[in-house]
Amino acid sequence: MFFRRRDTLLWLVSALLAGAGFWWAGHRQQRPAAPGVTQISWFVLITPLRDLYERQVTAFERAHPEIKVNIFWVPGSEYNTKLKILAATGELPDLFFSGDVWLSYLLPFSRDLTPLVARDAAEFGLDDFYPEIRRAMQLDGKYYILPEYMNLSLLYYNRRMFREAQLAEPTAAWTWDDLVRSGKALTHGPREGRPGVWGCSRVEGWWGEWFTYVRQAGGKMFSADGRRCLLDSPEAIAGLGFYLEKATKHRISAPAGFEPVNGFVNQRVAMIVGGHVSYWLNYNQVPALEWDVQLLPRGPVTRKGGEIAIAGYSISRASAHPEEAWTLVKFLTRPEAIADVVARGNLSVRRSVGEAAMQAKGPRPNPHHLEAAYAQFEFGEPIPHHANYIEIVSQIVQPEIDRMVLGESTPEEAARRATAGVNAFMTTFATAAP
Amino acid sequence: MTTRRAQIFWFWIFAGPAMAGFVVFSLWPMLSSLWLSFCQYEVVSPPRFIGFQNYIYLFAHDPSFWASVKVTSVYTVVQVPLSIVAALALALVLDRPLRGRGFWRAVFFLPSILPQVAFAVVFGYIFQADGGLLNRLLALAGIQGAAWTTSPTWALPVLIQVSLWGFGYPMVIFLAGLQNVPRELYEAAHMDGAGAWARFRHITLPLISPVILFNVVMSVIGALKVFDLAYAFGVAQLQWMPGGPARSTLFYGLNLYQQAFGFFHMGLASAMAWILFGAIVVVTAANFRLSRRWVHYGD
Repeated sequence: MFFRRRDTLLWLVSALLAGAGFWWAGHRQQRPAAPGVTQISWFVLITPLRDLYERQVTAFERAHPEIKVNIFWVPGSEYNTKLKILAATGELPDLFFSGDVWLSYLLPFSRDLTPLVARDAAEFGLDDFYPEIRRAMQLDGKYYILPEYMNLSLLYYNRRMFREAQLAEPTAAWTWDDLVRSGKALTHGPREGRPGVWGCSRVEGWWGEWFTYVRQAGGKMFSADGRRCLLDSPEAIAGLGFYLEKATKHRISAPAGFEPVNGFVNQRVAMIVGGHVSYWLNYNQVPALEWDVQLLPRGPVTRKGGEIAIAGYSISRASAHPEEAWTLVKFLTRPEAIADVVARGNLSVRRSVGEAAMQAKGPRPNPHHLEAAYAQFEFGEPIPHHANYIEIVSQIVQPEIDRMVLGESTPEEAARRATAGVNAFMTTFATAAP
Repeated sequence: MTTRRAQIFWFWIFAGPAMAGFVVFSLWPMLSSLWLSFCQYEVVSPPRFIGFQNYIYLFAHDPSFWASVKVTSVYTVVQVPLSIVAALALALVLDRPLRGRGFWRAVFFLPSILPQVAFAVVFGYIFQADGGLLNRLLALAGIQGAAWTTSPTWALPVLIQVSLWGFGYPMVIFLAGLQNVPRELYEAAHMDGAGAWARFRHITLPLISPVILFNVVMSVIGALKVFDLAYAFGVAQLQWMPGGPARSTLFYGLNLYQQAFGFFHMGLASAMAWILFGAIVVVTAANFRLSRRWVHYGD
């Protein structure tokens, strides 16, 4: 009997210890703030800017001793899932990383910042943000994001390859025809033991490039009310056709599936249409890579159509400390902070910082044509602000584009099937674009 | 305390935590997901009852549903027999009195210890179209390799090949089964003039048929639920949304995951989960039903 009692006691002690452990684990991050100090939480993507954020927070807490910032680092692949689960459980952080690409998706729990923006516009310099950036910050005329950095589709090119092929470098006057002409001249097979080079990359499995051509050819993804897909219009089909024919007809891009991995960095690809500004830092770490940027080549209808996307901060609708979170947002997007981000190889969302970067004396790191990058702002287009855009494009449209690229369907067939799929989805599930 | 009351007391002490765990972490979520399968539920707003709309959308409109059913079915039909045959063949070899038999058994079991994610990543590099190891070797022989991982024709066969490296578990179970076959039967058959094939066909196979059934049932269930391999393969191929190209590796489990945690269509994903559950029940029942014809329990 004694043996049994001892076992029971052990069992109970173990259970108590386990319970205490869970309680401690659940509460250890919720240390009470010192009197007069407000704690706010910030949900941040893990990016190469991590050390910068940590320094910013240290500086912020020094400038605002009444506010303590708790940072939660989240890997990019888990970010949206965790954020939405926190929203479902009512545990949203005060401040979270956001972007216009996901804005419609994050809208149900993003705070309308319009009153705060209107109140403090002069203080934080709203007019200092480029007009195109200000447009991307809003949805239906309301502000939801204050941006920190951005991406912009550009034409990237390898200067050495142009020089060796005795070709003039791309200019602001380039059209699709110029892209094809130079692409053909730059494309060649293996030479002197070195692998062959493609004149231009072709991004497969993602909307970035083909959607640019669709828009430059005058096509659209959705009707104005966001309730119908318009990808089967003749203009959109023309854009898809150009995307396809880069490889099949003009042969300036690799056949489907054979795009060289990191082709631009490895100097197996001479040009990129679109690209990503966040790669600038990587490009500049390869000394042999002489690269530059230019405006996107003009399409048959317009030069507009390349993506412009911002990333920055939103405040949770449920935040108990919106004023403190707003104070942090303003701090993180002040000109000095943006200048730090730009120094890491990004484009500026603020005009003052962008102009300072262009006027800086001394040798300029690539890209040399920084002015071209800022000039492209005018021609950038945000992706459609549709609550289900990412799902629609990746799940319904992209597989049809994949099939087209692989030669299993024509642009007309791909566009028709994608449009039918999207319309069926929207009829059943999706909410219309705001 | 009477003996009866003591028994009840100790029953709840020991079985209670497990039962509570089952109710809280299995039964309740299962019943919740059944309810959610009849709702539109996007997580941030309360579930809204919509009847059978999720099921109707899946069967009649969703372009990814039937694609993922097809991918999973092809995978199951091809991968399960291949893995069973490979595991049985290896078990037969490793059941023989080889020198260093224990070492070889460990060597062939080792790949099963590795996570499928690691396989997906490593083989992803080997099969890469431009600069992958396989295509480089083929190029040395003057052969132009295919776009193994980026072509819808080849991506699924490549994944099936990668998955076959996980044959260690069925192999070990076969080995255990083979060791239970009485040696006297082989000796008697041998003396009666039966050759190796006849001994295998008429002694080994019937006597290990329950083990084969077990491996088939478990492998089929595993194949219908494949997720990690396909997800890791897509990520390793830098696919913006795993499952490509052109949905050729969009396994049912991966599709379900994306609907649930990619797009937060929890109602739709719950409906998919219950359809999968139904499919597994039907296939397993069919397996047991058919097994009456070929499984021998020695009675």
